[in-house]
Amino acid sequence: MQLASTIRGRGYRFGSVREVLAKANPKKSGDDLAGVSARDEVERVAARAVLADLTLAELRANPVIPYETDELTRVVEDELDEQAYRAVSHLSVGQFREWLLDIGTTGPTLRAIAPGLTPEMAAAACKLMSSFDLMTVGSKCQVVVRANTTLGLPGRLSSRCQPNHPIDDVEGILASMREGLSYGCGDAVIGINPATDSPESTAEILRAVDGVLKANDCPTQHCVLSHLVVQMKALELGCPMDLMFQSLAGTQDGNRAYGISIKLIDEAVAMMKEKGTTRGPNQMYFETGQGSALSSASNHDADQVTIEARCYGLARRYKPFLVNTVVGFIGPEYLEDGPQISRAALEDHFMGKLLGLPMGCDACFTYHARMSQDELESLKVLLGAAGCTYLMSLPVGDDIMLNYQSTSYHDIPTLRRLLGKRPTPEFDAWLAERGIWAGDAPGPNFGRAEAIR
Amino acid sequence: MSRTRTLIAALRAELGAADPLPPPPPIPAIPAPPARVYTPRPERSGYAAHAAKHTTALVGIGHVGTRYATDVVLQFQAELAVAHAAVDAELPADWAAANGFQPVHTRATDHREFLLRPDLGRRLDEASLAAVRSQCTRGADVQIIVADGLSAVACVQSGKALADAVAAACGARGLTVGTPIAARYARVWLEDEIGQETGARVAMILLGERPGLGTGDGLSAYVVYAPRIGKTDGDRNMISNIHARGVPVEEAATRLAALASAMIAQKTSGVPLDLALLGLSRERSPRPPQVRQRLVTRGAP
Amino acid sequence: MSSVLEPIPPTVLSVRRLFNADPALVRGYGGDPARHVALGLVTCDQDDAMYVALDEATKHAPVDVIFARSFYAGAAHASGRLSGEVLGVIAAADPQAIEDGLAALLRCLEHDACFYDADGQRTVTVFPHVISSLGEYLSAEAGLAPGEPMAYLVAPPLEATIALDAALKAADVRVVRITPPPTETNFACAWLTGSLDACEAAAVAYAAAVVDVATTPKR
Repeated sequence: MQLASTIRGRGYRFGSVREVLAKANPKKSGDDLAGVSARDEVERVAARAVLADLTLAELRANPVIPYETDELTRVVEDELDEQAYRAVSHLSVGQFREWLLDIGTTGPTLRAIAPGLTPEMAAAACKLMSSFDLMTVGSKCQVVVRANTTLGLPGRLSSRCQPNHPIDDVEGILASMREGLSYGCGDAVIGINPATDSPESTAEILRAVDGVLKANDCPTQHCVLSHLVVQMKALELGCPMDLMFQSLAGTQDGNRAYGISIKLIDEAVAMMKEKGTTRGPNQMYFETGQGSALSSASNHDADQVTIEARCYGLARRYKPFLVNTVVGFIGPEYLEDGPQISRAALEDHFMGKLLGLPMGCDACFTYHARMSQDELESLKVLLGAAGCTYLMSLPVGDDIMLNYQSTSYHDIPTLRRLLGKRPTPEFDAWLAERGIWAGDAPGPNFGRAEAIR
Repeated sequence: MSRTRTLIAALRAELGAADPLPPPPPIPAIPAPPARVYTPRPERSGYAAHAAKHTTALVGIGHVGTRYATDVVLQFQAELAVAHAAVDAELPADWAAANGFQPVHTRATDHREFLLRPDLGRRLDEASLAAVRSQCTRGADVQIIVADGLSAVACVQSGKALADAVAAACGARGLTVGTPIAARYARVWLEDEIGQETGARVAMILLGERPGLGTGDGLSAYVVYAPRIGKTDGDRNMISNIHARGVPVEEAATRLAALASAMIAQKTSGVPLDLALLGLSRERSPRPPQVRQRLVTRGAP
Repeated sequence: MSSVLEPIPPTVLSVRRLFNADPALVRGYGGDPARHVALGLVTCDQDDAMYVALDEATKHAPVDVIFARSFYAGAAHASGRLSGEVLGVIAAADPQAIEDGLAALLRCLEHDACFYDADGQRTVTVFPHVISSLGEYLSAEAGLAPGEPMAYLVAPPLEATIALDAALKAADVRVVRITPPPTETNFACAWLTGSLDACEAAAVAYAAAVVDVATTPKR
């Protein structure tokens, strides 16, 4: 294995595959913080030159965290589809990138290969790609999943309705949710981040949301994004629950910091199979985001793009209905500004889709990151064009509980018109029946929350 | 290219010179759109009236096409500007001492470094470590720390009130409280080092949370049992949105003291802590949230 | 921006092969079961473009056009999503001839024969096509020798009448066939022959006259 390259006569030598992967990343404040980034732009390209010649087989043999020390590495290695893997294992990363971009490489082929790819392979290809490359391949990948409704069909752009409330005032949550539905939002999920992480509160919100959906015959799913353990207790209380949520980190230690393990998620998934209220087969909702492992000092000297890909390597074990990267939420210490946030969003969408997941994106910024509203709106168009499965949606994009700026109720219909996209077919029919959205334009009840019982 | 197509393209080019451009469409009468003002008008809509009692979310604001009315755009931009201003604010150097706190600094030396290097914001600088060791009570049940976090504005506004209320609530439960500390450029995990150094059974940091739109005055509280460097987020319990429109200071203080008691009783915190044994009333404050403040009016004040 | 005389490409709606057609079917559609074993079937939404394309197929492969009929009232009143306004059937002894014939036919529909927009709104259209060298199919239909040039001119009734007069006066051409309105699709058609230059001059005059009528319908 050759870990050296030369640029204008100057030699660059790298100590490990992990180091090559890290230094090949475009500049991110989080990699600087972790002390794993290239020292300048030339070294970055030198690392990419090395990476381009490594084979996928070599990447599999060199996971960024060893098999013996990390259960995520073990899950990826033990569950890899050998047949799919053998079809691509001989390619170098550079050749793999070209194969991905080839017009002849279609969505169904990518879907067939996905179970044979390790997270490191997806991350490696990502590092050799420009934004357009990431969008081109991302848009080719088709991942269709079903809970109550069918998500991820071509030509669709879905949204999570996120009616959060700072003190979980249920009437306040429902008021915001009704408004969201009246703008055609919420076809991916009605998902509430609770202010109080308790089983009773989780159950109370779920019952209330379930009531509104049933009263309106609205075809979607609901979820309260409390901790996995809290949701399991809520299920025991006997509440409706269409999707079960958990944030994932890309390392075993990172997940320990979240208070979860593979064993615990396995138990939760089994419980959802028994007690969840969707017809399925996809019932889980995961969130990820670059930098989360480093924020709990569990990154093992790997870069945040590769660690993010490892989240997807774990997520796919559970065949989730939703996965999204909360790309700008974690703060400027990981993604400093608009360009870094936008790049990360496209990277995460690409890697997740390539690994076979129904990727959405919370395109967002916190008020202490340097990103403008216009940059955020541009990013949403890029994601929509890249085939992103769903975005978030909130009143003017302002989360009054989590204090950050995301996608608005108005943005979703705007994007659908700009990009010629529709919501899930089931929800689309419901919107037409309710006079909210007809064809590609607002109907008479568009924006009229009063029309939602 | 086909012969016929070439032939007709040439004819087209030839005709083009004489071909009159289509006449411009007629100019329609353009009536002024109805006034859309930012504040939803409860008297106009039952939905808006109901929503306004229960949430500060910007709902019931209508739309033009699929976008916002001009008045909403201005309100939104003003709120964004206020939030950014709150992030940029810093805790005055003399604030801690003036309010009866032991002042400490983290290893972050300026505001940008603080934003980009959370690792530095989790550790005391040498002088502060020495001060904590020499000036602070050791072995208390609860160590309270107030800090700027991501909103010095919130810390200045209600940091002292919350710290005093928590101390009183802990006292009422028979818990001892250590020397109150105020930290500059601080992150949540700073409580681990301070708690470790003071030997407190529970450490509790009350710090400014990331500002929201039009607000920069929310505090969050993170509580950890047996604090020491190396604790993770799963080891902590937290209460967020402590501000006038969220969880009021008095209610937060009651809940925080109850959390500390439960941790000491169960000898753990975070995910393993059984909140059902907490003995807190689950009843929430029935107060309606305040109406969002209208930030923009046209014309001189 | 006016789009007068922009090509309106035909849309191919279906392409199917029958490599071993039933002899009764072949006979019923005008073929000879002894020679015609394999068929190629195409529908599209422009009948005259299809006739030209079928003729083109006979120039590139040993195929016969055994069936080609326009549907009543044209593509806007089709019997189904895939009907368009014409069905063309080519026949041959072996499948490869059908493949070659279909390739030539589809190429012609994509790049050559088509209607043109005469008023910038596609509410008046014109087909001023010049065949530089006739194939087996249209030469037989026209009673001309294969290899001769022919102007194949189609437009709506009044436009076609005015334009045919202009075409006949514009160059040294002679009439092969005049089909006055209404045809199945309610257009009117004329086939003219002469030298290639004369055919081209006639077609250009025809197209210009249709555009003139479309712009100034009352004078």
